[in-house]
Amino acid sequence: MKTKLLFLIICLVPFAIKAQSSSDTCSAADSATHITSGGTYSITSFNGTAPVAGCSSGSTADNGEWFAYTPVNDYQVVISSDITGNNGKDTKLQVYDGSCASLNCLANSDDDGEDVYSRLSVVQFNVEANKTYYIAWDNRWDSSAFDFILTETVQQPISFTEDPRNGGGTVRGTVDMNNDGLDDIVSIVAKNVNDSNVYDINIQEQTGSGSFIGHDYPVSAPYSASWSLAAGDYNGDGYTDLVWGNGSGVNIVKAINSGTDYAIAETQSGIFTQRTNFVDINEDGRLDVFICHDIAPNIYYMNETSGLEYYQGADPNGVPEGLGIYPSGGNYGSVWVDYDNDGDIDMFMAKCGGGEARRTNQLFRNNGNGSYTEVAGAANLADPIQTWSGAWGDYDNDGDMDVFIGGYNGTSHKMMRNDGNGTFTDITPTTNLGFFTYTGIDNVPADFNNDGFIDILSNGNILVNDGNPINMSFTAYTSGVPPQGAIGDLDNDGFLDVVSGSKIYYNNGSTNKYVKIKLNGNGLNKAGIGARIEITTGSGTQIRDVRSGEGFRYMNSLTTHFGLGVDTSVTSVKVYWPSGIVDVLNNLSVNQTITVAEGTTLGTESKTFAQDLTLFPNPAKSTLYVKTKYNLSDAIYTVFDISGKRVLNSKFGRNNTVNVSSLSTGTYFLRVMQDGLSHTQKFIKE
Amino acid sequence: MLFVFSCTSCSEDDNYVQIKPTPTSPVSLNLENIPYPTLSEYNFFEGEMSDLKPVYGVLPYKITSGLFIDYAKAQTFVWMPKGSKANYVNDHSVLDFPDGAVLITNHYFENVLPEKNRKMIETRLIIKKEGEWVLVNYKWNDEQSEAVYTTEGSFVNVKIEDNNETKAVNYKIPSYNECFTCHNKYDEILPIGPKPQNINEDFAFKDGIKNQLKKWAEFGYLNTSNIPSEIVSVVDWSDISQPLDLRVRSYLDINCAHCHSDKGYCEYAPMRFSFKDTDDFKNIGVGVEHNFELEEGLSHIVAPGKSEESALLFRLKSTLDEYKMPIMGRNLQHKEGVKLIEQWINSLENEIE
Repeated sequence: MKTKLLFLIICLVPFAIKAQSSSDTCSAADSATHITSGGTYSITSFNGTAPVAGCSSGSTADNGEWFAYTPVNDYQVVISSDITGNNGKDTKLQVYDGSCASLNCLANSDDDGEDVYSRLSVVQFNVEANKTYYIAWDNRWDSSAFDFILTETVQQPISFTEDPRNGGGTVRGTVDMNNDGLDDIVSIVAKNVNDSNVYDINIQEQTGSGSFIGHDYPVSAPYSASWSLAAGDYNGDGYTDLVWGNGSGVNIVKAINSGTDYAIAETQSGIFTQRTNFVDINEDGRLDVFICHDIAPNIYYMNETSGLEYYQGADPNGVPEGLGIYPSGGNYGSVWVDYDNDGDIDMFMAKCGGGEARRTNQLFRNNGNGSYTEVAGAANLADPIQTWSGAWGDYDNDGDMDVFIGGYNGTSHKMMRNDGNGTFTDITPTTNLGFFTYTGIDNVPADFNNDGFIDILSNGNILVNDGNPINMSFTAYTSGVPPQGAIGDLDNDGFLDVVSGSKIYYNNGSTNKYVKIKLNGNGLNKAGIGARIEITTGSGTQIRDVRSGEGFRYMNSLTTHFGLGVDTSVTSVKVYWPSGIVDVLNNLSVNQTITVAEGTTLGTESKTFAQDLTLFPNPAKSTLYVKTKYNLSDAIYTVFDISGKRVLNSKFGRNNTVNVSSLSTGTYFLRVMQDGLSHTQKFIKE
Repeated sequence: MLFVFSCTSCSEDDNYVQIKPTPTSPVSLNLENIPYPTLSEYNFFEGEMSDLKPVYGVLPYKITSGLFIDYAKAQTFVWMPKGSKANYVNDHSVLDFPDGAVLITNHYFENVLPEKNRKMIETRLIIKKEGEWVLVNYKWNDEQSEAVYTTEGSFVNVKIEDNNETKAVNYKIPSYNECFTCHNKYDEILPIGPKPQNINEDFAFKDGIKNQLKKWAEFGYLNTSNIPSEIVSVVDWSDISQPLDLRVRSYLDINCAHCHSDKGYCEYAPMRFSFKDTDDFKNIGVGVEHNFELEEGLSHIVAPGKSEESALLFRLKSTLDEYKMPIMGRNLQHKEGVKLIEQWINSLENEIE
């Protein structure tokens, strides 16, 4: 594994060579004087026993040299041969804990040099005081003598413990599948039938405290989950369904028999699947399915009473303008996010490959009536930088969603701050992210250190938010953190963990507080996908959207997690449901999971809003003026027709006016809403 | 490696003037009506269509270093309207074909079990119309009597005997979108095979063995006025008498370069696999760190001397959609290709800058 360094070893002034010399075996090193502090150590020749315990890939070496190391304090340790004097050499390193009789691999490094020479070795790991670690170098590539440096520093504020993952297959999701409130692990497992692979589901059900019970569900879906998986209960039976796909097609698989089994609901060939999402595209209360297409216009299934209806591109019965209709695609990462705080969900599309027109990112603004308008240019997000995903979060806790747009293959990342008026400003130079040049495909927001500021898991690195609400900045932690994977709370301790490949990476946590919110919707959209959750504590207000599918590949928990730092109580939790209902809970304790059932707090508010509202002229032709003593600058208006269908939705902004020129003649209702309080008034369009 | 394309055959023996009726190609091509619903309507072949016996005017040709297509075989042909010919651009670019030119690529399996017979799978046409190429695909029926126009992708399961082992193949007939993905440069459709570098070799025509370019010229399909005497050409990657690096570069060109080149589907990755670019090994990724979450233990795109740490080999070996390369057109591991790349990486000096 490529180890990426947290701290550049800038201090290359030679330390005095320490006295401890290498031993020929682990037990000889154990009996010899242990290393107990940082310094420069030497390998003078290779004549000992090569390490064989499974720590590194490739065939084993002829010889190895050993040290025992017992630190006096807890430290973060870097061992590096990537130092002056070793240019041209090719070292290989294994580090173990456990005992010589039973070594446990902790870290290894072959070609990780970045400063002096790429074939040199660098590892970083955390150690505990008075515990013994074994350092073994081998001569797999090179038998030259060399020096290495062991550096002890204060442990980084975020660390993880690895554990094996059971269930096999391709791990893709951390979602509560059995409705017990705990995140389970979803992987898709290949099965060979008649010389072709078909795919089943394995679910590792969390039983609490990091233990799991595995279940295999035979589905025989035709397509693998190579490119992405998303989860959501689209049919409202209370059990989570799945969508996943590969370069040849996509499957939608539904839970049946009260979640005791799974069956194919839809499959479609000829789709080069990328990011998938469950989302209520037309806001009819039913979750639809959206699938990024790499090589053609995007596809979506509208959830009708008759079942899932397949659409590609623009369609008057689906989304009239489509949701990304470039003929040869280039669609990699869709994130559904309410970027303009008008209470309906919009969509950002990360694009890559081809000419500028194909690879320019898009932003689809929800018009509130089932149609979308592409506004990336006006929002300053029409960027052709080549990206597979953008991580959307309110990184400065100012009440709107900012976006970290991940570069690919050396193209620079960008941090775009939401200006609160529908546009974004590139603030990358002042975020300290210019120094972070490792790029890739997957960028996901999550508060890993529970400090109340959203961090970013970016291609196996954690960009820790420094928590400066005025000038957003980040520190890149590039080692000792998990690779990219699905994010959820896999031991139910309130700290976000990651599952990836064959391992679970448990967040070691801290004393910081948290609260988790689980939604229980009234209608078919039980998990409240698309809802906005806002919590207020003594430190301020944080927001999240409930999303099914963000970043590029994985499906994260549908339980919304907030880190709270040192705050010991939650002043309020507000849930803005996709239905328009707003629930408010007050004075809650921390370190718990709160389930909010839709509509249960209604009527508990005694305050009223805009009850003095008058509309003129009425009937109105083009502009409807709204008169009230209340300040409407943050209020959202929604216009419904006589059948209850939404036809307009927006924030008022500076003018207390509604443009009704697009409406046909008839009777309408205008709802004005702010902070969960609303007032509705009838008007006539002539 | 340089292959000499000489033009000596252009001279004519004019002692005798033989009066012979000029044969006419029976191929039927009305550009207004393409794509035809069935392959037989073009009349490219005579007799049993699946025997691929070309009519007059349809010239067989061979790509020197063949694309891996899950152990299927390929037979390629070219046809042009009477009086029109292709022009040379440079060694590494597709010839500039005239309107109405058709490139015909037939994919089939040999030794299909249990009877060890031949099975036609698909016939891909690239037709030039009004200066632009059109991609058209035909899927053969089970009776092997006809191939029908399709834009949908589909899978064909066959079991074949190949190299003394049984191989189960889940062969993918590409959808139109997939055809387009490899055959476009910033949305402009282009053929891949018929570049001078890929066809500059002898071929056993009905009337004898001849350099293919020379044959095309003789037949009136190629304007020779600007063709240089030496064409920098690929080698057959499977020809072990050729230098290892040229075999590797030839393999990478035909299998990878259509996407990994400027304006290609994957131009945003650092590799440039065209034969003309790979004399600089850095374009193959030698010593270049890879930039995609792959499995552990991979250090570079190509780690010299360390094939097991090379992302290039990992991707060629993988059959998982998220890792495998080429991303389209391959579902099985190409054992012989993997062996070639592995041998080459391990032969490189174990040092990088």
